[in-house]
Amino acid sequence: MSEWLHKFMTILPEEDGVRVLKIIFLFFFGIVALVILFAPSPAPGKMTYRMLRAGIVVLFLAVLGYQMTWQIGGFSRSDFVRYMRRYDKRPTPVARQIMRGPIFDCRGLVVAAPRADDMWGRRYPYGNAFAHPIGYYHPRCGITGIELLYDSYLNGYLQEEDTLEKAKDLFKRRPEEGPSLTLTLDARLQETAFDLLRGRKGVVIMMRPMTGTILALVSSPGFNPHDPGPASIEENMPAFNRATQGLYPPGSLFKIVIATTALMEKRSPIFSCPGMGYVAADNTPPIRDSEYYSCERRGAIWPGWGNLNMREAMTHSSNVYFSQLGVACGPEAFNAMMKRLHINEPLIYMKSVDDSLKTVAGNAPVVRYRSKLAMLAIGQGEILMTPLHVAAMTAAIANDGDLMAPRVDMAETVKKLDTLCSAGVAQQVRSMMRQVVISGTGKACNLPGLEVCGKTGTAQVPNGEDHAWFTCMAPEKHPNIVVTVLIENGGFGSAAALPVAKEVLLAADRLGYVRKPEVMKILKSTPPSVGRKK
Amino acid sequence: MKKGQAIIGSVASATGVYLISLMALTCAMLSLLGIEAFLNPGRVQWQPLLPLALYATGVPVVLIWLALNHWRGDSGVLGSVIVLSAMGVLIQFRMGSYDAIDLKTNIYPLLPLALGLGAFVMGVTLTSKGRGGWMQMLGWGAYFLAIGVLVAMMVLGKQYRGGVYLSGNINPTEVIKPLLVFFLACYLSQRQKDFSDTVSGIPIPSFPSLLGLVIFWGIPLSVAILLRDMGLVVLLNTILIVMLFAVAKRLGFLAIGLAGVAAATFSMQFISSHAQARFDIWLNPFIDPTGKGWQILQGLTAMYSGGWWGSGLGTGAPETVPIVTSDFIYAAFAEEVGFVGCVFLLLIYATFYSRGFRAAGVTRTPFERLLCVGLTASLAVQTLLNVAGVTKALPMTGITLPFISHGGSSLVTCLFIAGLICGLSDNE
Repeated sequence: MSEWLHKFMTILPEEDGVRVLKIIFLFFFGIVALVILFAPSPAPGKMTYRMLRAGIVVLFLAVLGYQMTWQIGGFSRSDFVRYMRRYDKRPTPVARQIMRGPIFDCRGLVVAAPRADDMWGRRYPYGNAFAHPIGYYHPRCGITGIELLYDSYLNGYLQEEDTLEKAKDLFKRRPEEGPSLTLTLDARLQETAFDLLRGRKGVVIMMRPMTGTILALVSSPGFNPHDPGPASIEENMPAFNRATQGLYPPGSLFKIVIATTALMEKRSPIFSCPGMGYVAADNTPPIRDSEYYSCERRGAIWPGWGNLNMREAMTHSSNVYFSQLGVACGPEAFNAMMKRLHINEPLIYMKSVDDSLKTVAGNAPVVRYRSKLAMLAIGQGEILMTPLHVAAMTAAIANDGDLMAPRVDMAETVKKLDTLCSAGVAQQVRSMMRQVVISGTGKACNLPGLEVCGKTGTAQVPNGEDHAWFTCMAPEKHPNIVVTVLIENGGFGSAAALPVAKEVLLAADRLGYVRKPEVMKILKSTPPSVGRKK
Repeated sequence: MKKGQAIIGSVASATGVYLISLMALTCAMLSLLGIEAFLNPGRVQWQPLLPLALYATGVPVVLIWLALNHWRGDSGVLGSVIVLSAMGVLIQFRMGSYDAIDLKTNIYPLLPLALGLGAFVMGVTLTSKGRGGWMQMLGWGAYFLAIGVLVAMMVLGKQYRGGVYLSGNINPTEVIKPLLVFFLACYLSQRQKDFSDTVSGIPIPSFPSLLGLVIFWGIPLSVAILLRDMGLVVLLNTILIVMLFAVAKRLGFLAIGLAGVAAATFSMQFISSHAQARFDIWLNPFIDPTGKGWQILQGLTAMYSGGWWGSGLGTGAPETVPIVTSDFIYAAFAEEVGFVGCVFLLLIYATFYSRGFRAAGVTRTPFERLLCVGLTASLAVQTLLNVAGVTKALPMTGITLPFISHGGSSLVTCLFIAGLICGLSDNE
C-alpha cells in the first residue's frame, strides 16, 4: 500500500499534493457544515431556546474573533512576535520568514542590510565605525542599540495604536520584507571621525544646532558588529558607548555655561587674577590657572594675569577668573541654569513604540553655598556630563540659546527642550569663543573662511592623564555645525582633541555642512507619532 | 411537516452528512498517509487505521439501526455528531494517538469509539419517541451517585494539572456532569412554578425551593471546590444557571447568574494556586514565557503558523504544544486546517447546540425539556471553555473539547449525551 501511496505522492509534486488535498478537505468540510446548518428539524423555534441559541452563536463568534487577532493578526503584537522568533521550534517559523528591513544614513547609504544568504544574517558595510550608534543583530549575541529599539518595526510588524488601523492589519498580507529606517547620521562623516580617533578611547559628535540633528555619533574604540562577542571582554571596553553612556567632568568647557549664566544675570565683571590663585573659602585649596603649574615645573613663578574681563578670561581659559565668576553668580542662578540644561536627566535621542535610546543622566549637585561654586564653575568636582550632553549644550549656544532635543531618527520631529539664554547672550558667548580660536587656546583651529568658535577643555581625573575636550561651532554668525571631541586620558584639549575636531570640520566643510545653512524641511513634516508606515 | 418527508429527511440527510464526512476524511487520510509514505517509505502501518475503519463501518450500522427504529429526530443533531466524531478520529490519528494499536496485544485505543457508538445508541433508545419521561425517577439516584463519585475522587483521586483523576487516568468529572443534569432536571421540573415566580419583573423563587436547591447543589459544588477543580466548578455552575433560565424563562437569571459564576470563578484563585497561575497566565502570558506561559504561547504560535488556510494535515508541527492531544487539540486543528477550518468546526458545534436547545421545544414533559436543555448546555459550555481557553479569550480550565479531545471517558460520555439529545429531538 505504501508503494501505491508513494506513487500517488510523486504524481503530484509533494507540496502541491498536500495543497490540493487540503483544499478538497476544506471544501467537503465546509459543505458538510452547511448541510448540517440547513438540515430539516422537526422542532419549532421557541423564544426561550432562541435566546439560548443566540447566546451560543454570539459567544462562539466572540471567541472566533479573538482567535483571529492571534491566528491572523498575531504580527501586530510585538511581544508575541518576539516570543515566536525565539521559541518557535518549527523548521521554518513563520515569524522569521520576513526579511529584516535595511537601515540607511541621511544620504541613502546602506549602514545595515539583510544578508541574502542567511535569514538571520545582517551586513554592516561600515563595520566598527557604526557599531555604537546602530548596535548589532546577531543570531548568538542578540540584539542591541537601534537594531533592538526598532526590532519589531524592521521586522515588518506594524504597530498601530488606533483600533481601526489594528483591525485593518488583520486582513493585510504578511509583508515579505520589513520597512527601512533612515537615520540622520552621515556615514562618510561618521567614518572619517572614527578613523581620526585611530582607536584611541574617545568620542566625536557632530550636530546640526538648529534641529538637534546628529550627523556623527562616534565612540571609539569600536567593535566588529558582525562578531560582537569578544568586544565585551577586551581591554579599553570597546563595547561601551562612551558618547552616550560615559560620564566625564566637562572641565573648562563648563566655562561656557558659567559665562552664559553670568551674562544672563547681566554680570560682566572684571576680576583680579593673581598668580597664587583664588581661595573661595577657608580650608579649600586655592584654584589656580594651568600656567601656574607649567611655570612651577620650569622653576619659574607665575605672576598671574592681573585684571581680566570675561572675554580675556575665556581666551586664556582662566580658572581663577571663572571661579570668582561662579561664586559671584551665586547658587540660585547656577541651580536654575542646571535645570534649564537638563543635566540631571537622561537625554532621549531616539524613540520607538517599545522603548527609547537615551544617555545616562548627568550629575550636577544642587548648590547651597557660594563657595562650592568655585570648583564647579571650572567643570571639576561633582559635575559630570555625557559627551552628547556637552554637544547639545554647545548646540544651544550655537542656536541662539534654544536647547534642542538631539535626534538620530530622520522621521522624528524637531523638539525644543528648553531655553538656556537669550539670543543676545548666546551671540556674546559665541563672540568670546571666536576670540578663543583667534588668539587663545584654540588657535590651531582657526580655519580660514569658516569663522570657527571653540573652547578647549582639560579635565583633571583622579588617576591617569587628563581628559582632552574640544567643542566648537562654525560659522560664528549662524552656526551650521557643532563638533564635540573628547579624548579619554588624552592630555591637553588643545593638543589632543583640537586636531581631531579640525579635521572633522574640514571634512564636514568638504561635504557642504558648514557654509550652507541647514534646510529646515524636516520641521514641516508631520509627526510620525507611534505607528509608522512603510 | 409530513410524516414521510420526516422519515426521509432525518436518517437520509444524516446519511448524506456521513458520506460527505467520509469524503473529507478520505482526502485528509490520503494527505496524511502520503506524507507518511514520503517520509519513511515502506513503513506505513495499517493497524493505526483501525479506528477509522471502525468509524466508517460503525456509523452506517448506527444509521441503519436508527432507520429501522423509525427515528425521526433532528438530523442536524445527528449529522453534527457524525462529523464531529469523524474530526476527532482524524485528528487523533494524525497526532499519533492510535500508533500503539496492536490487534493482538493492545486494542484499548479502539475501545472508546466502540463503546461510544454503543453509548450513543443506548442514549437514543432511552429517550426517543418521547419515552424518556420515566427517567425522572432516577433523579435522586443520579444525585447520590454523583456525590459518591465525587467523594471517591476526593479519597482516591490524584491531582494532575488542575484536574482530578482516578487510576488509569479516567476522569470521573465527565460522569458527574450528566448525572447532576439528571438531578437538576428532576428537581427543577417538579418545582417549575416556584422558580418562575416574579415580583415586579424580578425572579424571586419561593423560599423553600430555593433553600433546597442551595443545599442540594451546595454539597457537590463544595466537594468540587475542595478538589480545586476550577473547570468543574465553572461548568456545573453555568449549567445550573442555564437550566434555571430555562425554567423561569427570565433573562434576569441568566444575567445575574453568569455574573455570579464569573465572580465565583475569579475567587477560586484565592484558594487554589493552580487557578491563580491560570489567571496570571491569562492576564499576561509573557511574564513567564518559558514556564507557565509556555503551553498557551506554543498553542498560539501553532495557530499563527496556520494562518487562514492552515499548513495542511500532517505538515504542521502541533506536537510542539504540550499535551496537545487532549486540552490543546484545538490548537493542532487550527494550525493544520487553518482559521477557515476552525470557522467550519465551530459552525458545526454551534449548529449542534442550537439544534439541541431547539429540540427542547418538541419534548413532552418538563423533565425531558429541562434534561435536553441541561445536556446541551453541558456540552456547549464545555466547548466554549475549551476553545476560549486555548485561544486565551478566557483563562484555561483544563476542560476537554467534546468529541475531539483524546480521552476515553470524555468520548464515551459525550457520545452518550449526544445520543440522549438525539433521542429527545424525536418524540413521535
